[in-house]
Amino acid sequence: MIVQALAFYLFAGILLMSGFMVITARNPVHSVLFLILAFFNSAGLFVLLGAEFIAMLMVIVYVGAVAVLFLFVVMMLDISFADLRKGAMQYVPIGLVVGAVLLSELIFAYGAWSFAPESVANAASPAAQFGEISNTEALGRVLYTQYAYVFQIAGLILFVAMIGAIVLTHRVRPGVRRQKVSEQHARRPEDVLEIQKVTPRTGA
Amino acid sequence: MELLVVFPPLIAFLLAFLFGKSLGDKGAQLVTCSGVIIAAISSIVLFFDVAMGGHGYTTLLAPWVTSGDFSVNWALKVDQLSVVMMCVITIVSSCVHVYSVGYMSHDDAKARFMSYLSLFTFAMLMLVTADNLLQLFFGWEGVGLASYLLIGFWNQKHSANAAAIKAFVVNRVGDFGLALGLFATFALFGSIEFTTIFEEAPEMADSVLSFFGHEFHALTLIGLLLFIGAMGKSAQLGLHTWLPDAMEGPTPVSALIHAATMVTAGVFLVARFSPLYEYAPTALIVVTVVGACTAFVAATIGLTQFDIKRVIAYSTMSQLGYMFFALGVSAYGAAMFHLMTHAFFKALLFLGAGSVIHAMSDEQDMRKMGGIYNKIPITYALMWIGSLALAGMPFFAGYYSKDIILEAAFADHSWWGEFAFWMGIAAALMTAFYSWRLLFMTFHGKPRASKKVMSHIHESPPVMLGPLFVLATGAVLAGFVFYEAFVGHHAMWHEAIKVLEANDTITAAHHVPFWVKKLPIGIGLIGIALAYLFYISKPKLPEATVKRVKPLHTLLFNKWFFDELYDAAFVKSSFKLGKLFWCTDKQVVDRFGPDGAAGTSNKIAALLSRFQSGYVFQYALVMMIAVIGLISWFVFKTGQGF
Amino acid sequence: MIDFNLIPLLPEIFLALVAMGLLIVGVGRGNEATNTVAWFSVFALAIAMIVMLGLNWDEHVVLSGMFKFDRFIGFTKLLILVGSIGALSLSVRFIKQMDMGRFEYPILVLMATIGMLLMVSANNMLALYMGLELQSLSLYVLAAFRRNSIKSAEAGIKYFVLGALSSGMLLFGISLIYGFTGSIDFTLIADTLGNLDFMPFGVIFGLVFVLAGMAFKISAAPFHMWTPDVYQGAPTSVTALFAMVPKVAAIALLIRLLYEPFGSLEEQWQQIIYFVSLLSMVVGAFAAIAQDNIKRLMAYSSIGHMGYALIGVVVASEAGISAVMLYMLIYLLMTAGVFAILMSMQRNQVSLEKISDLSGLSQNSPVLAYSMAVLMLSMAGIPPMAGFFGKLFIFQAAVEAKFYILAVLGVLASVVSAYYYLRIIKVMFFDAAVDPYDAHIPFARRVVLLISVIFVLAFILKPTLIVASAQGAAAVLFTG
Repeated sequence: MIVQALAFYLFAGILLMSGFMVITARNPVHSVLFLILAFFNSAGLFVLLGAEFIAMLMVIVYVGAVAVLFLFVVMMLDISFADLRKGAMQYVPIGLVVGAVLLSELIFAYGAWSFAPESVANAASPAAQFGEISNTEALGRVLYTQYAYVFQIAGLILFVAMIGAIVLTHRVRPGVRRQKVSEQHARRPEDVLEIQKVTPRTGA
Repeated sequence: MELLVVFPPLIAFLLAFLFGKSLGDKGAQLVTCSGVIIAAISSIVLFFDVAMGGHGYTTLLAPWVTSGDFSVNWALKVDQLSVVMMCVITIVSSCVHVYSVGYMSHDDAKARFMSYLSLFTFAMLMLVTADNLLQLFFGWEGVGLASYLLIGFWNQKHSANAAAIKAFVVNRVGDFGLALGLFATFALFGSIEFTTIFEEAPEMADSVLSFFGHEFHALTLIGLLLFIGAMGKSAQLGLHTWLPDAMEGPTPVSALIHAATMVTAGVFLVARFSPLYEYAPTALIVVTVVGACTAFVAATIGLTQFDIKRVIAYSTMSQLGYMFFALGVSAYGAAMFHLMTHAFFKALLFLGAGSVIHAMSDEQDMRKMGGIYNKIPITYALMWIGSLALAGMPFFAGYYSKDIILEAAFADHSWWGEFAFWMGIAAALMTAFYSWRLLFMTFHGKPRASKKVMSHIHESPPVMLGPLFVLATGAVLAGFVFYEAFVGHHAMWHEAIKVLEANDTITAAHHVPFWVKKLPIGIGLIGIALAYLFYISKPKLPEATVKRVKPLHTLLFNKWFFDELYDAAFVKSSFKLGKLFWCTDKQVVDRFGPDGAAGTSNKIAALLSRFQSGYVFQYALVMMIAVIGLISWFVFKTGQGF
Repeated sequence: MIDFNLIPLLPEIFLALVAMGLLIVGVGRGNEATNTVAWFSVFALAIAMIVMLGLNWDEHVVLSGMFKFDRFIGFTKLLILVGSIGALSLSVRFIKQMDMGRFEYPILVLMATIGMLLMVSANNMLALYMGLELQSLSLYVLAAFRRNSIKSAEAGIKYFVLGALSSGMLLFGISLIYGFTGSIDFTLIADTLGNLDFMPFGVIFGLVFVLAGMAFKISAAPFHMWTPDVYQGAPTSVTALFAMVPKVAAIALLIRLLYEPFGSLEEQWQQIIYFVSLLSMVVGAFAAIAQDNIKRLMAYSSIGHMGYALIGVVVASEAGISAVMLYMLIYLLMTAGVFAILMSMQRNQVSLEKISDLSGLSQNSPVLAYSMAVLMLSMAGIPPMAGFFGKLFIFQAAVEAKFYILAVLGVLASVVSAYYYLRIIKVMFFDAAVDPYDAHIPFARRVVLLISVIFVLAFILKPTLIVASAQGAAAVLFTG
């Protein structure tokens, strides 16, 4: 029990710290690296909660794909973050005030928090079969049955994302040579070859 | 079938108005003419169906307004009354449409003109087929609009614009009465459906309505208010000043709107409400007296005018007076009969006058005409037919209808009936006189026009004469053929018109003394003879007479000073009042009201657009602040609750 | 246990299949197929509409409580489909003219439409969010569709960033609601919240965030800031779509949220919507005065219109809701007509967007000028145009429910807004004429304009039929 608590505070502490560093780090590459650290720590928190599948997703998707993409973009694009920050800095006071107000209200809400009497019963239903089967299997069971509808919409969203990415970035550039296999196959010797008789000692 | 009557003109209007340019003049003329001709044929079929054969019915088109207990439908009420009106409207309208093809041949905006005519026809048909007051009001305003547009059709002419505005404003007074009548009806019956109103009218005979703090006999009040509406549209004495001025419009318009159809809407309205008027005897007396006075006064003015169209306009007004006093003595059938025959011969006279004007290179003053009867013989002959019918000479249409009106007035055996009868006789004398004065001055005597005009005189083209022949046929035969159906012993009206047993003057009219029956003819002949005396045998006589009775002539020539009176009483004072308001408005209201408000608005606008900087983070910040503001508001409220 | 009845989803499924099929056609044949794909999409939308009309319109909840269909939803979906058909048929020629005639355009419009259809049918927070994202994502791409225009790209980015923020708010709100009730199902949330005798603050917190997210979608002030920039930057055909369809979907969804899961929070959300409605009317009325770009002006005009529509939501009565639905119908058709005209404002194939470009239009093309005048009068709410009746019903409902202040301010705001609508008429009819526009107006655009103008003019003749169907739609929210 004590190990779990210790682990929680460790992960949570590092998570908050690295989150703070993401915003404040001067070097954008450092920011991204801190972001990756934050992802790892939140994955650890998920493991503590017994949600090992989501923890894995965290590592594979966010760390493996998203953060690496970020890193590439940040390293390859020449953006002066310092200039960007300059414009935004003038709003920091207001931002701080807004943040402070929001924080105090959140604390207020937390202080006055209560659960609806039915909430446990409401939330309980899908988790009934957790005892015997693994986390992943349990998710799979509901994902393809109860949540099949939403799953399909998610498919549509990805479909749109694909179309959108192509529409917004794909350009047909003139002068790019591509291999056209069908043309290569359809080529006949007589189209491209010319047999010339070369008389010796006269030159071409 | 009734759909085929009402909607072709609407479709024709839309096509010609919206696509006039692409259809071209020819196309627009073809579309509109065929629209009304289809309507005319259908309405004749409908006439035989409904009037001769069976009973009326109502076709529901669509619900219009449903609000609480109040519901109004778009519906076409087809009964004997509306069918007669439909026939008159569509036949005259067809004639006028075809005639206009010729008459307006030199005009630039033919498509617009034709489309307005079709619009008018549609609105008028909506008016007569209405089965509730609101739809009637819709048609009523629709014809008013079309009339306004057509009077002011030559909008480059200042006088035409002024006349159009005058017609509109004067009609507004009448429409106000009609609208009040509509409200009063709804207040009394809780419905504006004709069927309901007419069924319940007998039970309401003794009820009262309070109005301006006084209690009035409800049906009388409604009857009078509706009659004010009718007076405006039908140019009865008091609200008549617009009609002569309306002659500024093209002549076919005068024939269609200001002679045959729209001005008879008032007559139709009262006839339609016969089940109500029968229980409002006081209102009927008012109708009679106003009608009789109009018939007389208009005829006296007609004696002195020189503009050919104005003479006919005053004669129209006078004839409308006849119709109204016929209504007043409960001879609704006779009024409708005269409405129908009058439509034919008056349209004929107008179109004939148009033909003359056309021939005389747009000259309307009779003093500049004369001696042209052998140059345009067909028009001349047709004008004779029209005049004979108007004067009520035997066997022409007017003879039957005018006589039955006078007889019915006599047979009413009341002081107002008697009054109307004698006024009518006097008007008949004058009618005959000024009709032949018109004929003689226009066609006979020495030519008074310039050489150039005289050399141009030509008979109108067939497209203009054709409709005249149709109308002339009506003017000759309509009275004789339809006498039995309209005012005979077994008239066709059934439940379309309701007459109480005691008021049945038409039946009584068949049994009046012999002299009453023959007096109008005699009077008419005297009138013609007098006209011959004045304008053919002794051409000096008119001037001498005028000198002898100078004050009377001045009174008549200036149309009883109605215009001047109104000008002094209403127009000038409202101008003054308007100027006063305008000054106050400018100095006080504008400075602190609109101008001030507009200035403030602009400032607020500038302030708001400063927020719109284009920076995303600023937008995001505004959103966050808004959310937090809302939450803080609830925190604040919850805090108060603790 | 799991109800796999897919019949109420038939229109959506059909559209999704068509979209995928058309994508294959497009990929195979390239951008020459744009016209075919576009008209086929319009056709498919029409078929979906017919299929929808053939469905059973009584209440159905299927797919383990995720998807709901009833009279209100059906009415909304009809509006969405009509709007999409209108917007898409307006676009076909326009995207060609603007040199962005790519076959993905109609497919993205189809996907956005599917998203909206799914979103208004959601009966679960998750389904709501997914539908919302499907439509938003499609719309972000559409906003940036004109790649070689910086303005268009800027519009896309702005819309995307702020849209993501609003989605975040929405999700945060949903998580708070879930945290309290333990459920994301509308019915369960409604039951749980309905049983409470006090209203915990956390729920109100969540409500504010959810409503902020929704207010962003209908561009109600103060969550409207993106609207003018995006409307101006996006290609006009996309702006037409933005102005017409997502508004209807979002406001219907908002109404469903307020009356179904949050029905027992009426006292709280009335305050929020009251504030949002009031501010939207003010911003819509005043900020538009300073505009000289007509697309920006339309943006502020739409903000104002949403303000009026929200009055009907605030009053929380059946009359109010039916007035809103009617208002949305009228707004949709008026907007379609206005954009049909805006798209025709071209000289030498270059689109014009300034109000001063309308100057003297009545002399060059009177038909356009008169149509525009009719539509502007209707937008300003001048009788006897349809817009007047829309406002009339809204204000009537407000007065009946004793929201006098809101009604009075609404009338005042519409007086102020009449200023800039009338200014357009003044510019068209009284200012000196400049060069005429390109004469050719495509057939589809003419048809849309004609329908819009006829609707606006003829609404007075037959309101009962339309009013009755809006009332029928609103009634289901109140029968309990």
